[in-house]
Amino acid sequence: MSSTWLIYMAFAAVLVFIGLYCLLSQRNLIKLFIGIEIIGKGISLALVSTGAVRKSIFTAQALTITFIVVEVCVVAVALAIIINIYRHTKSLDIRKLAKLKG
Amino acid sequence: MTLQIALLGGVVLLSVAAILVRDILKAAICLAVASLLLGILFFVLNAPYAGVFEISVVAGLITVLFIVTIALTRAEGDVRESKWVAWVFPLFFIVFLAIDLLTMKALIGKIPTLASSPEGGTFGEALWKGRTFDLVAQIGVIFAGVFAVLALFRKRSKDE
Repeated sequence: MSSTWLIYMAFAAVLVFIGLYCLLSQRNLIKLFIGIEIIGKGISLALVSTGAVRKSIFTAQALTITFIVVEVCVVAVALAIIINIYRHTKSLDIRKLAKLKG
Repeated sequence: MTLQIALLGGVVLLSVAAILVRDILKAAICLAVASLLLGILFFVLNAPYAGVFEISVVAGLITVLFIVTIALTRAEGDVRESKWVAWVFPLFFIVFLAIDLLTMKALIGKIPTLASSPEGGTFGEALWKGRTFDLVAQIGVIFAGVFAVLALFRKRSKDE
């Protein structure tokens, strides 16, 4: 039981690491959201695998579904903000958002 | 266990591809396939409801949202990524993998065992009776998202 759980949690940590690396290194706004999505995948993998190993898969599924709904809302709002930023600055480069001119 | 590890390896490989590929459209499709593999893994782990949500919502709806955004912005060429991103990644990845394998066993050993006994009943009972407050919060989050998108795309009046 423990070794299976270890493998799942190790892979979940790897997914979170990949997403964090994407957030730290990329400059395109859409790429940054792809990084956030990858972190979300790691979280849902950790939830479901823990539920499967600890014999409480129903609660884990309920939590995962809640997480997915929240994730969809976050992505919808964030992509709407990205489209507005693109209309405003004509670019998706995050460095161009550093100017606070009105 | 071989199938699970193959699926997990596929998810990790496609996620790496999603951040290293330069074309954003290809990155979004890599992300969708990774979600699909993760959904299949949920089915293997005996969690069919989470698998259905993962495949239909994350692999379907979010990918559509990403592709619509990419089509509406069409500004892939103007963002210059720095060159060291792809070169430094394997180094960081290997270092993290070593730390991960060395420390994860001690970390999960520290997680306390839940006091409750293994759950019985069905998924419906666990969702509707056990997590009722979560469902109310989900409705609130969905409304917040809808109103936020409406507010962001409203037409500006001439006075503004």
